[in-house]
Amino acid sequence: MEVGGGASNQRFPKIKIREMKDEYLKFELRETDASMANALRRVMIAEVPTIAIDLVEIEVNSSVLNDEFISHRLGLIPLTSDRAMGMRFSRDCDACDGDGQCEHCSVEFHLDVRCDQDQTLDVTSADLISTDPSVIPVDVAAKSSSSAYDASENKACLGLRQILMLLCLLERKIYRRGIIIVKLRRGQELRLRAIARKGIGKDHAKWSPAATVTFMYEPEIRINEEMMESLSIDDKRSWIESSPTKVFDIDPNTQQVVVVDPEAYTYDEEVIKKAEAMGKPGLIEIEAKEDSFIFTVESTGAVKASKLVVNAIEVLKQKLDAVRLSDDTVEADDQFGELGVHMRGG
Amino acid sequence: MNAPDRYERFVVPEGTKKVSYERDTKIINAASFTIEREDHTVGNILRMQLHRDPNVLFAGYKLPHPLQYKIIVRIHTASQSSPMQAYNQAINDLDNELNHLKTVFEEEVLKHSRDY
Ligand SMILES: [Zn+2]
Repeated sequence: MEVGGGASNQRFPKIKIREMKDEYLKFELRETDASMANALRRVMIAEVPTIAIDLVEIEVNSSVLNDEFISHRLGLIPLTSDRAMGMRFSRDCDACDGDGQCEHCSVEFHLDVRCDQDQTLDVTSADLISTDPSVIPVDVAAKSSSSAYDASENKACLGLRQILMLLCLLERKIYRRGIIIVKLRRGQELRLRAIARKGIGKDHAKWSPAATVTFMYEPEIRINEEMMESLSIDDKRSWIESSPTKVFDIDPNTQQVVVVDPEAYTYDEEVIKKAEAMGKPGLIEIEAKEDSFIFTVESTGAVKASKLVVNAIEVLKQKLDAVRLSDDTVEADDQFGELGVHMRGG
Repeated sequence: MNAPDRYERFVVPEGTKKVSYERDTKIINAASFTIEREDHTVGNILRMQLHRDPNVLFAGYKLPHPLQYKIIVRIHTASQSSPMQAYNQAINDLDNELNHLKTVFEEEVLKHSRDY
């Protein structure tokens, strides 16, 4: 029993992961309701913190883009943000009293590029030098981790490793690396200092760790087999064709209509309308299961998709904790209650 | 020029209470909870969890205006319970549900990364 003697109405949801990559996750969430699914989705998009460039001091900028244009572009570069959950928001950092530039609440970046050639020079995220090796542009991080993998795999074979490294260098020359910030021509220069801070998507979308987060209700499809068997093969085919997505097919052996992909159904009700038009109402029943959801999570790379879900659960817990009643509110009400008893002559 | 600061949307101003409670003056066991700087995310899960409590006769929330960053949760309970008790119970249940969710999710991630 909890405090206050109320009975618990807690649910115990179930999870099944279908597909997991660093930046992509597909999973099933069952035995809870849409309010919980939607709260998780909303928190993933707007309230899981990341780190993004928030303050830019430009020393030299002779490029074709103006200072604020470049600052805005810098802000939108996703940075690896595994540190973010443990970091402080600069507005409540007491170590630097509101300055927002200390190690607890910020990461400093430097960029210094000058074009001294005839060919156009791309300034990219790879030119951003971080003071914290754990907070770097996500594309730079992805590149360095993949080359580290190559190196470890071919420790015994030096020749192959050297060739790989050469290829890597060549690739860098041919394909421009990183996210392009601005292009410079001969004589142009960009020199700046940038401060990255912890923030949330609610404040500015640059802090959102989510590229997309969606969920759908799992459909439950029931075919009236008896009625279906009364259809000719051509009728079956034209009925199947009426669905804009490929949900049904005909089993080549038994000639029966089977559900091949229930989740391809978009709740368009075309097959239901078609059945009615064919004079077979009730041929098919499709219901959205109210307690089963299929989530798709795509991350910007700031945090892993699986970590994004875990962080969202944590943030939602913190939000709930913040809305608990304070002791003085409860006390004030207790007094009110006693006063009520007095007034009623108790 | 006179646009309010973006953080106004989620930082509770100094001197303001996060949650304030007000009893209904006419109906016994009814009350409103005003929650500052919260929106549908918290409002809707609280409401739905309150609906699972058999002692709750009515539970609803509203976001009075998109530029007023607060929600109002209204609860009416049967005499065995009280709005405050139902409110606390709903938060505890949701908190436990999330603890459970975190555990099963992390187990599943571990299982999946082993299989892979
Ligand atoms: Zn600080």
